[in-house]
Amino acid sequence: MSTNYPSLFRSEEMSLVQLYIPSEVAHDTISELAEMGNFQFKDLNPTLTTFQRSFTPRLRALAESSRRLRLFQTQITSLSPPLGITPLSAVPPFTTVGPRAQNAYDELEGKLKEHERRLADMNRSWEELGKRKSELEEKRWVLRETAGFFNEAEHRHTEIRTSFDDGDGTAPLLEHAAEYGTLPGETGLSGFDLEFVSGTIERSRMPTFERILWRVLRGNLYMNYSEIEEPFVDPTSGKETHKDVFIIFAHGTDLLAKIRKVAESMGGTLYNIDSSQDKRSDALREVTARLEDVDTVLYNMGQTRRVELSKIAEVLEAWTDAVRREEEIFKTLNLLSYDQGRKTLVAEGWCPTRDITAIQLGLRRAMDTAGTSVPAILSELRTHQTPPTFHRTNKFTEGFQTLIDSYGIATYQEVNPGLYAVITFPFLFAVMFGDIGHGILMFMTAAAMIFWEKQIAKNGVNENLETFFFGRYLIVLMGTFSIYTGCMYNDIFSKTLHLFQSGWEWPADPTGLVEAQSTGHIYPFGMDPLWHGADNALIFNNSYKMKMSIILGVIHMTFAICLQVPNHFHFKKYMNIYAEFIPQIIFFHSIFGYLVVCIIYKWSIDWTQSSTSPPGLLNMLIYMFLSPGTVDPSVQLYSGQAFVQTVLLLMAMICVPWMLALKPYLLWKEHNKIKAQGYQGLTGHENGRASTSEPLEDEEEEVGMAVAESTDDEHPFEMSDIIVHQVIHTIEFCLGCISNTASYLRLWALSLAHAQLSEVLWSMTLDLAFQSKAGIITRGLFLFVTFAMWFGGTVGILCVMEGLSAFLHALRLHWVEANGKHYMAGGYPFLPLSFANLGREEE
Amino acid sequence: MTFFHVVLVGMIIAAIGAVSWFVLPKGKNQTLLRSSILLTLTSCYLMWAITYLAQLHPLISPRRSDLRAEY
Repeated sequence: MSTNYPSLFRSEEMSLVQLYIPSEVAHDTISELAEMGNFQFKDLNPTLTTFQRSFTPRLRALAESSRRLRLFQTQITSLSPPLGITPLSAVPPFTTVGPRAQNAYDELEGKLKEHERRLADMNRSWEELGKRKSELEEKRWVLRETAGFFNEAEHRHTEIRTSFDDGDGTAPLLEHAAEYGTLPGETGLSGFDLEFVSGTIERSRMPTFERILWRVLRGNLYMNYSEIEEPFVDPTSGKETHKDVFIIFAHGTDLLAKIRKVAESMGGTLYNIDSSQDKRSDALREVTARLEDVDTVLYNMGQTRRVELSKIAEVLEAWTDAVRREEEIFKTLNLLSYDQGRKTLVAEGWCPTRDITAIQLGLRRAMDTAGTSVPAILSELRTHQTPPTFHRTNKFTEGFQTLIDSYGIATYQEVNPGLYAVITFPFLFAVMFGDIGHGILMFMTAAAMIFWEKQIAKNGVNENLETFFFGRYLIVLMGTFSIYTGCMYNDIFSKTLHLFQSGWEWPADPTGLVEAQSTGHIYPFGMDPLWHGADNALIFNNSYKMKMSIILGVIHMTFAICLQVPNHFHFKKYMNIYAEFIPQIIFFHSIFGYLVVCIIYKWSIDWTQSSTSPPGLLNMLIYMFLSPGTVDPSVQLYSGQAFVQTVLLLMAMICVPWMLALKPYLLWKEHNKIKAQGYQGLTGHENGRASTSEPLEDEEEEVGMAVAESTDDEHPFEMSDIIVHQVIHTIEFCLGCISNTASYLRLWALSLAHAQLSEVLWSMTLDLAFQSKAGIITRGLFLFVTFAMWFGGTVGILCVMEGLSAFLHALRLHWVEANGKHYMAGGYPFLPLSFANLGREEE
Repeated sequence: MTFFHVVLVGMIIAAIGAVSWFVLPKGKNQTLLRSSILLTLTSCYLMWAITYLAQLHPLISPRRSDLRAEY
């Protein structure tokens, strides 16, 4: 296949290419190749560990730079109010190639180091100040809150006292005194030895703290606490903590010491506060003043830090990009064979044959950028190694190709089922998802994604939606086909369209169970709407959909078997055509092809005019095997049926040994012929060892190490292996025919389930509102609510969940039933070095 | 007689397919477009034909018991 244009039919023709790159241009050449993105480098030093490779030190330095850049990035993004990072397109480009590139990178490294140091300094003092500030704030809170406690405590003390005194009978005096205000707080308190501990503690620990204190002091304490409304923000991590101010009154130094210990062990902070009012207000004033100072310093420092970071933010993207590119380049350089003394690097790798000219131009360009006069030299190698598989996809086909690739990468130059999946996949999906309404919803969603794809791609989407966005073209086709199959099933949100003249009419005066009369028409497009709602609609639909699944399945599988043929021609295995393809087709069609013919024949006969009753086709197929040669005349489909079936059965039976024996026999014969000629060991391959080493021997120097080790993949001829393989293959095919055909019945089951589910949803929501006999307002409200439920169910259950299940079933039909018939999938993907998806990989 | 309709439509579809095969311009997407159009035509035709054939000589007719007189 040497067409002028690349197509999805086969993977690209690839060439193994060797590049001799003078070390002056090496960097720029690799950069240019990565820019073009169509060269896959092979590792020419597979024996060397990472540490032994030539460019590892440079890579380490780059890794350090990229760590610094990541650090800057996190600091910039965590800044509030947020600081915008200038996008790459708006930043002046960084010199990544050319003679000055090395200098630029060295400079960059220095800059990054300097920036990091300055930022680290700033962050450290910022942290210290922040800590000081939060301490001061806490102290202020303690001072404020404790003022309240003291006032309260004064009252409390008097009350305690009065209550104690109550029993002595001296109470009335004091009580009165208190009531009349002759015992003002100050004087009352002065009588007590008021000792206390005050401080702050995290709110979550407060209950534990209280309980422990209570146990430790056996209840000999008076504790008070209040919550600080504002959270404390940790200056470095930005985490918010809520704290409580507590004050504990107790007697005796022992107890106080215990309280202190407990408080400290619980992570609380203690603040010394004087019990006298004046000193406390003095302290408060002082603390406030200091806080203000710290705030000013902090603000200034924040500004400087912000300026510093914003300077970095302006060029951050350019730097990151440059460092990533450089890393990629040096990783690649590590793969090349490099000799310090010779000043030349040797690269080897795969590229599409079609692109060789473009690559050669690229090499020349790289030489110009590097400013030297020695270009890299490209030479094509002949090899019998298997090249990687490369399908040129575009944004439309890549989704479909991914479906096939996730089953297996196509063998090199094999017929690619991805080309056909573009249509067959959405179609089989739609057979299971047939509903005009749901199809329209699906179509609209995907169409919107396509319409705004540029914006969406630019802004990025969240991870869950990304899959849907990636498959937007797939979904749009799935929606379109669903609309079509919906027309066929005549289903729109479980209702029906009545566009043409129906083939049935109900009797004029229906009473009880009535049967529709034929009008002599046939509904021309899709299912007759009169079936909708009929009591026996399900019987009719089941028969129709079941037969349709079988017909579609048989045709789809036939198509898949036929796709073997271009492969056999392309790989020059003509033997497979008559040893595998032809018996397979005959076997398959003498059983299932015959079934399909019978289905269509049965449909086309008007059984009302016939003398016999319509036969069951399933029984017919079963009795074709059980009692070959005899057909009960009462269930005969056509005359001469017994003879035809016997012939078909014989044909199928002949095919089994045909598939089983012919290929091993032919291989054996061929092998003997070769052996007779004395070429054992050089089997089959005409171009045997199209040598990779020959052209190299012409070179003066032994660059042989750069050459692909001759992969020795010639198997000795093993007759038993071939026979076993063929037996397995035959059994798999014969049994597979039956089970795979049955597997297509999932088309029937899923489409039936979908139709039933949407009908149930309708009758349980909207239909209730329509049938309701309540007043207009109630009904309106009812309708409003049920519509919401119905719409939610339609989107959530019918479109998303049902759609997903239909998707998976369609995928299975492609992977197992169709691909199994022809797709070898023994390739490995072409992974060219490319700058295009640098950023994506990292994330 | 009506089976003839299916054949007729089939022939029309085949003609459309043949025309589109030759009309499509050469280019990167020629193979893709050709195969897609042919497959679309085939699958849609098949689906229609099966649905039509299934109703050609129905063995049962719709029955229901919940019809009201005015309908």
